[in-house]
Amino acid sequence: MDPITSRAGRRFVHFVLLSFTVYSLVPFVWTGLQSFKTVKDAFSRRPLLFFEPTLQNYQEVWIRRVPDNAEAIGIGIFLVAALLIGLLLSARRLPVDSRLVYGCCLAGFGLLLWAIPQLIYMQKFYDYFINTLIVTACTIAISISIGCLAGYSLARYAGMAAVVILIAALAFRALPRLAFVLPYYWIGSLLNLLDTGLLVVVALVAVNQPFTIWMLRSFFMEVPKDLEESAMVDGANRLQSFLRVIVPVAWPGIISTALFTLLLAYNEFLLVRVLTQSNWTLPVAISRYTGNESADELTLAAAASVSATLPIIVVILYFQKHLVKGLSAGAVKG
Amino acid sequence: MKRDTFFAFASPSVIIMLLLMVVPLAIAIWLGFHYMTFRNIAAPEWVGLRNYMDVLADARFWRSFNFTALYTAIVVPSWVVIGFIIALFLDQVSGLVRGIYMSIFLLPFITVPIIATIMFKQLWEPSGLLTWVYQQLSGTRFRMNETSVKTLIIFFGIWYVTPFTIVVYFAGLQTLPQEMIEAASIDGAGRLQKIRHIIIPYVRSLTVFILLFSIMDSYRVFDSVYVLSGLNPQFKADTVMTYTFSTAVQVQRLGKANAMAILTVIGIMVVLIPFLRLMYKEQIAER
Repeated sequence: MDPITSRAGRRFVHFVLLSFTVYSLVPFVWTGLQSFKTVKDAFSRRPLLFFEPTLQNYQEVWIRRVPDNAEAIGIGIFLVAALLIGLLLSARRLPVDSRLVYGCCLAGFGLLLWAIPQLIYMQKFYDYFINTLIVTACTIAISISIGCLAGYSLARYAGMAAVVILIAALAFRALPRLAFVLPYYWIGSLLNLLDTGLLVVVALVAVNQPFTIWMLRSFFMEVPKDLEESAMVDGANRLQSFLRVIVPVAWPGIISTALFTLLLAYNEFLLVRVLTQSNWTLPVAISRYTGNESADELTLAAAASVSATLPIIVVILYFQKHLVKGLSAGAVKG
Repeated sequence: MKRDTFFAFASPSVIIMLLLMVVPLAIAIWLGFHYMTFRNIAAPEWVGLRNYMDVLADARFWRSFNFTALYTAIVVPSWVVIGFIIALFLDQVSGLVRGIYMSIFLLPFITVPIIATIMFKQLWEPSGLLTWVYQQLSGTRFRMNETSVKTLIIFFGIWYVTPFTIVVYFAGLQTLPQEMIEAASIDGAGRLQKIRHIIIPYVRSLTVFILLFSIMDSYRVFDSVYVLSGLNPQFKADTVMTYTFSTAVQVQRLGKANAMAILTVIGIMVVLIPFLRLMYKEQIAER
């Protein structure tokens, strides 16, 4: 709409937006502060905004026993991580194939994550973190590969079957998780699959599939039909033209969908809570910090929450455009 | 695209959905006819319709149903109204400033729900910031009781999902044709009139979209209730989902919990069928 121009009007706009900023941020700021407090400061009768910060809570969440040469190990890990991130960010500018660089970085990070518990005696929280990474990565890989094939075919096929599948998927999207999770529990306990990552990944792929195919379909519909037709004239079959021509064009949309799958898998609580007893992901692990009345749990919960939230915020802010695009994609087309 | 090619491409996804959504639903209906605890999982005992009757006669189930309905009735309109207003304000700024605001407003929505609730709850712990503010303003002690827990659950629901509606409405406002606004300005329409007569009708399809997904998500609320009430029955703050969960995991009446889930499925389908028919007609027309 046409912009407000009067000075008082501009001030009002900024006043509203700043107030909403405060409203959005208060829980994050407060939890952040709590996570750096000693138990005594955290339980002070007047809320403390200024205090002497401590890393004790983070240490307790992540590390079971601090090794003697902690500083050397810390600096070493930091340097390796910095090197990998630098390599990742400059991958496009290097003279070698950037896919090779990405692959090396991925392997490097994997190696680093594997090496850390060999050097330092870590808490279980670290295992949950690694488990979450594995479950999330597997869910994204499977969900997006089969979702792309289905989304593309649903975008191109005009038959009745496509409409039926789409409407059924929408209906499934609306159903309560427990209607699926309780049968999964039953099947899992009969097949002895409870508490395995496999069951969690398969279940996550299934419950997210309806959403994934709808979203990917909307992105594939934006790709002009002439593209694959000209590729097929040149002698490529459907699958080849799809992989070589369509996927690269629809890539930003695929990233958007992958981002949502990432959030769905990383966020899932109920499904993981029912299907696992100890092989948790972070949401379930963190929920264990609430509910008992022990004194230090408040600050530990704060530190664990911040630890689990920071990675996701970094990833999302980096890909924010894709996220916003994804949120509005289904919407604007209605 | 030919029919055969379509099925070849779609089959992995369709098979997954058949095996892991249609089959489990059938199993859930079947398990609903059985008495089952964690002890007799391999050999559940047939009890006919007893579980379904039990659920329908269960006062706690209806209480949780009522709270879920209340939650939906308050939270969904709040998402629509607050999201729309903030999107209008966000539309007034541009460039970097807008990007920064957008990033901040999105934060609640991209945080893990369980963690966002824990963070929100930290404000209301006995030593929390808002507990202190509340006590300064009202002069009374803040306690977790039925009213306050329910209020916090509803407040959290509003806080957590509003970013979604902001982004959707904001994206819609970006596509608004400038000529429509200019024409209205020439006719001498004020700002509020433009909003009422041009923008609100223009974003109508978005509102329908938001309502559809909001209702789907709000009746399923689980994570925030799990953290804020701790599933403590004294707060009487169960939703249908948390009550089903407690029935399955804490009371170990798995058959009854399955029956409850199936009744919830029937309930939500009744609400959704008009929407689904609408979508069906739209898809048929689009072909």
